Amino acid sequence: MTETNPPGDQEFDAQGFARGIHELLVLAVLREGPRHGYQIALDVESDSNGVFRFRHGTLYPILHRMEANGLILGRWSRGKGRRKKIYALTDIGRGHLSGETNRVQEILSRLLRMLRRAQEVPA
Amino acid sequence: MNSEASQRGLPHESTVAHQTRVAARAFLPVLRRLDRDLTLPVPDRLRILRELEFDLEELCDRLEARGMSAEDARNRAVDALMPDGATLRELDRLHAPHYRRLTRHFRPGRLRTLERSALALITTAVLFAETIVLLRADWLRSPPPFLWPVLGLGALLFAAIAAQLFKLWVKHDHRDPERNFRIILWLSGLTLATGIFGALADFFRLAEALEAEPGLAGSLLPEWLVGSCVLLAFSLLLALAGGLAWFIASQWLAILAGARSELLGHHPSGSLASVRTSTSRGAAGGARQMPDPVPVHHPGSMGEIP
Repeated sequence: MTETNPPGDQEFDAQGFARGIHELLVLAVLREGPRHGYQIALDVESDSNGVFRFRHGTLYPILHRMEANGLILGRWSRGKGRRKKIYALTDIGRGHLSGETNRVQEILSRLLRMLRRAQEVPA
Repeated sequence: MNSEASQRGLPHESTVAHQTRVAARAFLPVLRRLDRDLTLPVPDRLRILRELEFDLEELCDRLEARGMSAEDARNRAVDALMPDGATLRELDRLHAPHYRRLTRHFRPGRLRTLERSALALITTAVLFAETIVLLRADWLRSPPPFLWPVLGLGALLFAAIAAQLFKLWVKHDHRDPERNFRIILWLSGLTLATGIFGALADFFRLAEALEAEPGLAGSLLPEWLVGSCVLLAFSLLLALAGGLAWFIASQWLAILAGARSELLGHHPSGSLASVRTSTSRGAAGGARQMPDPVPVHHPGSMGEIP
């Protein structure tokens, strides 16, 4: 969501917004507690009733970018005799999530308003 | 084998045990293929592969617990988690070394010229610094003739060390590390040998002079003693610095090779060579061809994140 411009005078970056949604989904899942990569993907899918799914490993660049930006923190631990990387939400990520949630809400409400107005216009 | 492994900081393990343990892992061919396709520095690549392997096994276990056959579960896990071409490119971009990102606008030829110029500058600076140290200590009034070759070799040695450290830890280019380390080791040995040879040559010169003029012993002996001490001390210090740099860098590479061997099944005996093979394929264009027994399907799905 870091690349998304706020709605208003600035130009709206649709691609950045879509990318930001992925990050918000990850942050939302991690707010419930630390998880490893695949568990995050699974929780996103189940929480959204299958609407959002990460396929073909697309989750990893998202996680690594968020880790580099300080939104999440990855730590190696050992589970079932294997090494796994567990991700946890950082304070920056927590702040980012609450700020971006409001912004997404505003963008979506504007979009819905537009779509409803379009429906009201007789064909 | 074990003694070699322990010398390189690797756990004791027989070849058979190592190969058996590695062969038991279901996703090894997939991981090897990914290792070949990523052009990242080895440490980053290993971290990604390790993370992916855990997730693949976790998903596979879950699917098998739901009653799916082992092969189907493996295929589904690979389909869901194995990065496709675009994702690999994104991972490569994300984990690219800072140096590669900073210099991406430079033409390769121009960059190479800049790097070589920097190396020449370092060599000159080291030579200059060595001379300053000697001048300050007033040891250049009557320097032993072999001091200059030792200083020259020392400067070259430092330049070789700087070039190697730059290549390994700044450029993250791990191609052909053995050859570069051999150069450092050879230069260290040559510096020390030149120092020892110079001290011996000075000793014979002194003996010859004293044989001709025994009365000069009072002035020649202290001069020879100081000159030889300086020569030997410099050559020894430079050789030790070279040896230490070689030892640290080769141990680091051995640890990397050990981790890679543990993950991808290349036995530790080929530690440095295996790192070299894997990293050079970026330039060579892929030397190894691993079998890919797990077919990858990429069906589209509603609401899936691209």
